[in-house]
Amino acid sequence: MNATEIPLKEPSVSAAAGDTEQIERALIDASTRVPVLMFYTSAMVWLVIGTFLAGFVSFKLHSPDLLSGISFLTWGRVRPAHMNVMVYGWASMAGMGTAIWLMARLCRTVLRHPLLLVAGAGFWNLGVLLGVGGILWGDSTGYQWLEFPRYAAIILFVAYMLVASWAVLMFRYRRGEQIYITQWYLLGAFLWFPWLYAAGQLMLFVVPVQGVLQAAVGWWYANNLLFLWFGAIGLGTAYYMIPKVIGRPVYSYHLATIGFWTYALFSSWTGMQRLVDGPFPAWMITASIAATILTLIPVATVGLNHHMTMQGYFPLLRYSPTLRFTVFGAMSYTVFSIVGVLISLRSVARYAQFTQVSIAYSHLGLYAFFTMVIFGSMYYIVPRLVGREWRYASLIKLHFWASTYGIGLMILMLLAGGFLQGANMENPTLAFSESTETVLPYLRGRSLSGLLLTVAHLIFAYHFVLMLLGLGRTSTVPTFLNPVEAEGSEGHL
Amino acid sequence: MKGLVPLFLGIFGTFAFSWVGLTVIPNWQIGHLNPQMEEDGTDVYPQPQSGMVERGARVYAANGCNYCHSQQVRAEYAAADIERKWGDRRSAPRDYIFERSVFLGKMRMGQDLANIGARAPAEQENAPGPPAGGAAPAGSPGQQPAVAPLSSPARSGASPNPPPKSAGSPAPNALPAVAGSPPEAAGSPSPSAASPAPKAPAPQVPNASPGSTSAPAAANATPGGTTSVSSGTSASGELPIYSATWQHRHLYSPRSINIDSNMPSYRFLYQTRQISDAPSVDALHFTGSDAPPEGWEIVPNYDAKCLVAYLMSLNQSHPLKEVRSAAPAAASPPPAPGK
Repeated sequence: MNATEIPLKEPSVSAAAGDTEQIERALIDASTRVPVLMFYTSAMVWLVIGTFLAGFVSFKLHSPDLLSGISFLTWGRVRPAHMNVMVYGWASMAGMGTAIWLMARLCRTVLRHPLLLVAGAGFWNLGVLLGVGGILWGDSTGYQWLEFPRYAAIILFVAYMLVASWAVLMFRYRRGEQIYITQWYLLGAFLWFPWLYAAGQLMLFVVPVQGVLQAAVGWWYANNLLFLWFGAIGLGTAYYMIPKVIGRPVYSYHLATIGFWTYALFSSWTGMQRLVDGPFPAWMITASIAATILTLIPVATVGLNHHMTMQGYFPLLRYSPTLRFTVFGAMSYTVFSIVGVLISLRSVARYAQFTQVSIAYSHLGLYAFFTMVIFGSMYYIVPRLVGREWRYASLIKLHFWASTYGIGLMILMLLAGGFLQGANMENPTLAFSESTETVLPYLRGRSLSGLLLTVAHLIFAYHFVLMLLGLGRTSTVPTFLNPVEAEGSEGHL
Repeated sequence: MKGLVPLFLGIFGTFAFSWVGLTVIPNWQIGHLNPQMEEDGTDVYPQPQSGMVERGARVYAANGCNYCHSQQVRAEYAAADIERKWGDRRSAPRDYIFERSVFLGKMRMGQDLANIGARAPAEQENAPGPPAGGAAPAGSPGQQPAVAPLSSPARSGASPNPPPKSAGSPAPNALPAVAGSPPEAAGSPSPSAASPAPKAPAPQVPNASPGSTSAPAAANATPGGTTSVSSGTSASGELPIYSATWQHRHLYSPRSINIDSNMPSYRFLYQTRQISDAPSVDALHFTGSDAPPEGWEIVPNYDAKCLVAYLMSLNQSHPLKEVRSAAPAAASPPPAPGK
C-alpha cells in the first residue's frame, strides 16, 4: 500500500456516494459544534482543576502537615473534591460531548434541539461547581461519588435529564433502520445513568435504607457508574473510532452483540465484591464475585473483536493520534477487567481490601481506559468541529507518552504498595503502622506520576485552546504523529 | 440489531435485574432489623444515638475521615482484624441499624474505628469521680475531669458496659516504642507511664498544681522535652489511650502522639483564644511548639466535641446472638496498638 493511501481518515466508498456523504457529514459536524465544544471546553477546565487537586491530594497523603490548618484544604475534603471534579466535571462532560457527537453522526441527522444540550451543559457545570464548593465547605455526604450535597445533586439530575431527553429525541429523527453497536452502548449509558443516579440518591438520602444497606447501595452505585456509564460510553466510542480510523468494518457483529448483552447483564451485578467479608449476607458478595468473573466474557469478546478489527493495521498506531489513544484505552479495559477479577477473589481480596489497590483499580478504569479513549475521540472530533487540524504533532506525542508513563507508573506504584500494605495489615504480629509506613514510598512515587499526568494535561489543554482560537493548521490532511512519507511502512501494511 | 423495542427492553431489563437483585431483595432481607433484647425487654442493643453523636457523624463525613478509616471488623477466618484487637467479634448488620450514615470504609490508611469507643479506658466512665472527690479538689487542670462530662451523656445508652479489656492495656508505654521516637522521649515517659497504667488519672496528680494551665505543662517539660515531638509524647504518655482527651489531642496534633502518624491535623476544629476569666474546662494541654502562648488556651469547638462524642460512641462490643464472639481478649498479649 502506498503511504499516501493509508486510510487514516475515511473508509473508501465509491466516489459519487463519497461526495454526498462527505457533505452530509460536514453538515452534521457543523450542527454539533456549539454543544459539543461547550461540553469539551467545560470538561477541559475541570480536567485542569481536577489535576491540580489530585496533585495536592497525593502530596498531602505523605506530607500530612501541608496546609492542614485550613478547613477547606484538609485532605478529607480535597480528596472527594478531586474525585468528583474528575468524575462529574471531566469524565462525564467529556464523555457526553463525545456521545453527543457520535449520536448525531450515527443517527445520520443534523443535531436537533441544541438548546437542550446547551442548557444541560450549563446546569451540569453549575451542579458540579456547587457540589464541589459544598464538599470543600463541609457539606459532603461521605458516600463515594455521591458526596455532592443534595442541592447540587438535584441540579445535576435536571441537567442530565435535559441531555438524556435529547438523546432519546435524536433516536426518533434517525435515518436508516440499522442501529450501530456504538448506539447500543450510548443509548444504554443515557438510560442507565438517570435510573442509577436517582436510585442512589433516593435510597441513600431521600428515603434512606437501613444501616449497612446504605453501604451496599453506595457500592452498587459506584460500580455501576464505572461500568454502565463510563464503561458503556468508552466501549461505544472505541467501537466507533477503531473501525473508523482504519477504514474497515468491525470484525464480527455477532461477537459485538454477545459482548454488549453479557456486559449489561454481568457488569451491573458487580460492586458487592468490594465489601467482601463485611457485615452482609454472604450471598450478595458471592453473587458479585461470580458476576465479576463472568465479566470476562464481554471482555474477551470485545477484546477479540477489536483485535481482529485491528489485525494487520497495527502499524497505523504510528500515525494516528486517535487510534493510538483509543487502542491504548481498549487494551486498558482488558487489563482493568482482569485486575478487577483478581482482586475480587476472596483469597486475593484479603490482601487487596482496604489498601491502595482499590485506588489503582479505579484509576485503571477511569483513566487508563475511559479517559484515554475520550482523549482519542477528542483528537478525532475537535478538528471536525473547528475546521482546523491539530497544530503540533510533537505536542500530541508528548501528551500520549506523558499520560501513558504517568498512569502506568501510578498503577504500578499503587498496586505494589497496596499489596505490601495489605500483607502487613494481615500480619497481626506487625504493628498497624507498619502497613501505612510500607506504602509511603510508593505514595511518593505516585506523586511523581502525578507530575507526569499534570504535564500531559497542561499540554493537551494548551493544544485545545489553540484549536478553539482557530490557531490550528488549515489542511485537508489530519495531523499524523509521524510523517507518513518518511516511513518505510508499506511492507507492514 | 434492528428495532428499538428489543434494545430498550433489554437495557431496562438488565438494569432492573441488577437493581432488584442487589438493592431491593437485600432490603427485604436485612432492611428492617430491630434491636436485640432479652425476653423481658432489657439489655437492648443497639440503641439510638444522641444528637451530638449524629452531628459528629456528619463532621466525620464532611472532613473525609471515612477515606482512611473503616468501621467494620471482619470475621477471624477472613482477616486479622480481631487479632488486631479491633473488636472481639465480627461486625453484623444489626450493629448499624441506628446509624443515619454508615461509613464502612474502603481504605485503612488509619486504624479501623468500629470499636474505637469500646477501646477507650473504662476509667473514663468514672473519671468525674476520683479526681473530684479525691486527690485534687482544687480542680486539677488535668484533662480527665474536663472532658469526661461532655462525653458521658453523648455515648449511647449501651455504653456502661465496655469491657475492661483495653483498660489495662500497656498503651501509654507501647506508644513511644512503636513510634520509634528519640530515646529521650521514649525514656522519660515510660517509667512514669508504665506503673500507673491501670489507673489512668493517677499520674496527673503529682503534676497538678492548681490554678495555672501552664503549670502542668512546665512540670512535664522533661530535659528532652523542648521539641514539640518529644514533649508531646511525654505528655501523651499520661493520657489513657483512646480516651476522649486523647482523641482531642490526636485530632489537634497527631504527631504529638505518634511521630510516624500520617494523619492530618484537624486544628481548624479547635480555637485558640485568650483566657478571659478562668481557663476553660475543655482546654487542651500542650507543651512545646503546639502549646498556646501564655494567657491563651486551645479549646475544641462544638464540631470537635461532636466528632469526639461520635468516636466515643462507636462500640460494637455488645454480644449479638447471630454472631459468635471471639475468645476472651485477655488470652493473648495484645499487639502494639500502633497509632
